[in-house]
Amino acid sequence: MALPNSGIIIPRRSIAGMEGMWAKMWDPPKESPGTPELLTPTNPVPAFMESLGLGDVKVPNTVQLALTEGITITGWNGAPLVIMAVGDQDMDASKGGTYPGTILRVPRGVIFHAETQGKTSPPHTIHWHGIEPTPMNDGVGHTSMEIGKYTYQLQPNFIGSYFYHCHRNTVQHFEMGLFGFLIIEPPDAYANPLTAGGYPRRTAASLAAFPQFPGFVAGDLASGDPHAYTVPYDYEALWVCDDMDSYWHNQIGLEARAWYPAILNRPGVDDQFWHGHFHDFNPDNWFITGVVVPNAPGVLGTIPPNVVVPPGLNGGVTGMQVSVNAQRGKTILVRALCASYNSMRVTFPVDVVIIAWDGRALGVPPLARYSHAYRVPAGTPIRYSVARRIDALIRTDTAVNAFATVEFFDTRGENVPGRERIVKTARIPFVIN
Amino acid sequence: MKRRDFIKYGVSGLATLVVGSKMPWLMANPAYAAVQTQTLNFTITDAVKEMVTHEPGNNLATCYFWIYKSNAPNFPADCPGPQIYTTVGDTINISITNDLDEDHAFFIPGMYNSGPIAPGATVTGTFRVTRAGSYLYYDNLNAPVNRVMGLHGAFIVMPANLRGTRARGGNRLTPYSLPTPNVQQLFNDFGRAAWWPGLAWEQGDAAATPPTLPFRQYVWLLHQASPVLFEEVGNFTPGADYPAAAFMDAFIGETDRPGLPPLIATNTDPRMAFPLPFGPGIAINNAFNKKPHFFTICGQSGHFSHNHPAITPMLRVGEPCLARVMNAGLWTHSMHLHGNHFFIACVNGRVQSNLLWVDTFTSKSMDIYDMVIPFMRPPDVPNTRGIGRADPGLPAGLGATWPPQQEFAMYQPATGTFKQSFLNPLVNVDIHQRQSPLVYAMHDHTEPSQTAQGGNYNCGSISGITIIGDRNTPGWKDFPRDEDFDMMLTFGNGAPVTKPGGGNDPPLV
Repeated sequence: MALPNSGIIIPRRSIAGMEGMWAKMWDPPKESPGTPELLTPTNPVPAFMESLGLGDVKVPNTVQLALTEGITITGWNGAPLVIMAVGDQDMDASKGGTYPGTILRVPRGVIFHAETQGKTSPPHTIHWHGIEPTPMNDGVGHTSMEIGKYTYQLQPNFIGSYFYHCHRNTVQHFEMGLFGFLIIEPPDAYANPLTAGGYPRRTAASLAAFPQFPGFVAGDLASGDPHAYTVPYDYEALWVCDDMDSYWHNQIGLEARAWYPAILNRPGVDDQFWHGHFHDFNPDNWFITGVVVPNAPGVLGTIPPNVVVPPGLNGGVTGMQVSVNAQRGKTILVRALCASYNSMRVTFPVDVVIIAWDGRALGVPPLARYSHAYRVPAGTPIRYSVARRIDALIRTDTAVNAFATVEFFDTRGENVPGRERIVKTARIPFVIN
Repeated sequence: MKRRDFIKYGVSGLATLVVGSKMPWLMANPAYAAVQTQTLNFTITDAVKEMVTHEPGNNLATCYFWIYKSNAPNFPADCPGPQIYTTVGDTINISITNDLDEDHAFFIPGMYNSGPIAPGATVTGTFRVTRAGSYLYYDNLNAPVNRVMGLHGAFIVMPANLRGTRARGGNRLTPYSLPTPNVQQLFNDFGRAAWWPGLAWEQGDAAATPPTLPFRQYVWLLHQASPVLFEEVGNFTPGADYPAAAFMDAFIGETDRPGLPPLIATNTDPRMAFPLPFGPGIAINNAFNKKPHFFTICGQSGHFSHNHPAITPMLRVGEPCLARVMNAGLWTHSMHLHGNHFFIACVNGRVQSNLLWVDTFTSKSMDIYDMVIPFMRPPDVPNTRGIGRADPGLPAGLGATWPPQQEFAMYQPATGTFKQSFLNPLVNVDIHQRQSPLVYAMHDHTEPSQTAQGGNYNCGSISGITIIGDRNTPGWKDFPRDEDFDMMLTFGNGAPVTKPGGGNDPPLV
């Protein structure tokens, strides 16, 4: 390293007296503690799925998550991509782990338990992105612990779109596929077993200014009305927009602890740090909700029509779509997550009303009264970055036979004049008959 | 650990300059260790900074930077330059000397432009601050090279009516000269509306320990650093500008795909060397490419930004605060807060009409946004209240889940986990960490930035919020704090700034 002409050396901040905080930050403990403030779980979804013959529930009202690795999926060119995967051990469809992980649907207000463990190469964690519990249940190693085995406990309080992912060595484990979507539904979503497994369903919104969506109920959240500030939808589509760097996946896919630093004897003095290449991400594969986007990097690719998510991966609900196929005069809800280390830009072929960002319905009083749902005209891009979610509501009386477009931007150079670069464009069939 | 050692060597506030005299609230805030001045007297020079990680052999990793250094007495050099706080209506005198080999400048968009300052020359000027908000100051020459090399800092303008305790018409103070109705409503509601019990943003609490300051605000200035490229720029032909296009090619790192420069596998981890079923294993190679491999918030990474009370808000439920996020680099960051959703109040100078309430927001190169963190009780801790309802606690027999007293009693790592002390290997310290107060992360979800030197997860662009108590639950104004956290919180706010570390460590034993 060249010395500065000025002779100025800027010292690192001292670690004296903070050895524990310093060490926990990057080498958190691996533990399997009991859950503090443990309550009795009340989540009805596992039992409902069992009643449909989708699995066998080991612990009542409890999801059994396992994180595993060494699974192979296929990229756009037929080449294998090694991934890690998460699955619900009680459910046949997700037992072995899927990419992305099984969708968890949870009614608002239930006590949610997820017994979680790493099947191979622990430790891991699960962070419930957008859900805000105590640090022990937040699934972040340096603010609690890595596991081991642990029962995460939450009581989701806001209806909307979330996701869950492993927060251990997140740069690797999230990229490798350890994540799934999480939907918080109205409190009574599973109250009636005859309707719980299909559509219409309801989600949170404040839509007094958008009378084109019938069935919206305002009311008062404090009244206990489970439908206060919700709107029904007839179709639901989920777009989990992801990218993968085959070099990362295939060269280091089986080393779950890649370049993970370690405390030795004297924190701050003899710590074991590595050189690696996790600063250098160059995706060459793209996926929409697990469906590979065809064609080489940079070349437009269209995913097939009529892709649906089976009920065994969707809380027992039949009919979740990826490619949209709906009827005129019906309400369609699209949930779109950027799970990509690239940024992205979604363009719908129809007018949409954005009713929520990040699991917070716009305009719902009292806490979200400072915002409002808003219309985005057809053809107008909505641009956002990794981990953000939009809920878009659509209803049209006109037939549509078109595509929604997801353009992925290299995050290196966005907003830099002459340097913005679209690395992949994916199209999603969007048909309204 | 003796408390006096901690004061001497431990954390300290951020290097901050206050221009003018209209901000007694800030001068009173030891977190900023503010130096008050009427003139911004800067030298443009270079420095080598010790970064978050260690190199093999356990020397500290370093990076070369260009910096704006304040010439105020005993003022520490750092990258980025000092945080500057001003007030609308202030007139600022400026004097900038260029000690480097090529032309440099000092630029605040819409406010001041020094123009090129020749090597060895000094430029003086005056400008008036007219609009409240968050700004970057930076060197706009040979863009973006000079800025990305480190010549940047945060420039904060507060509205002028801060002397009173209330603005007119019953409205509370906001960070803006012309707030939108929704921004005004949010700031009016804090501390008044049933759903935001606690303090208003403009209210402090002198009786708290440490005192809660009014107008709580934090800067999260994001940057990326490439030691290989920055050294190359530093060693470039004296007097000549390093070509900006070549700089961006290397730093933004177009791709390693065919036809373009190859990825250099930088890897010293012996676990990587063995063959894998799907590939040959990765050759061990100690060389880095020119892409950034340090990612900083206010010049700090990992532990140093997360456990830092002048960067990470450490406040109580009911003590809302403002965070000003700005990106001086060339990479996009997607900043995610745990524990609380936050309101987006202002984006690139536009005070927002529709206040999105989000858990993640996008920071592209040169983006500036303000977020308001309500510091509400984390809403998905089990409760019976439902949204917007008072919390009666849990049904009889279930105990209380808030505050989480069982969680407060847990230690991870467990008590009795001994390591050698940083200052003296003959002294053992217990590195146990109590699950109190409640620590949450705030980090970039574009995860390559969560690393240092290409690995070493959680040594990157991360800060957080820490909930140190609950103003709204009787008897729990303060959650338990162990000694190390308490010293960090107390003295981290209060130590006089002499160096970023509050003073060099003594030679290690």
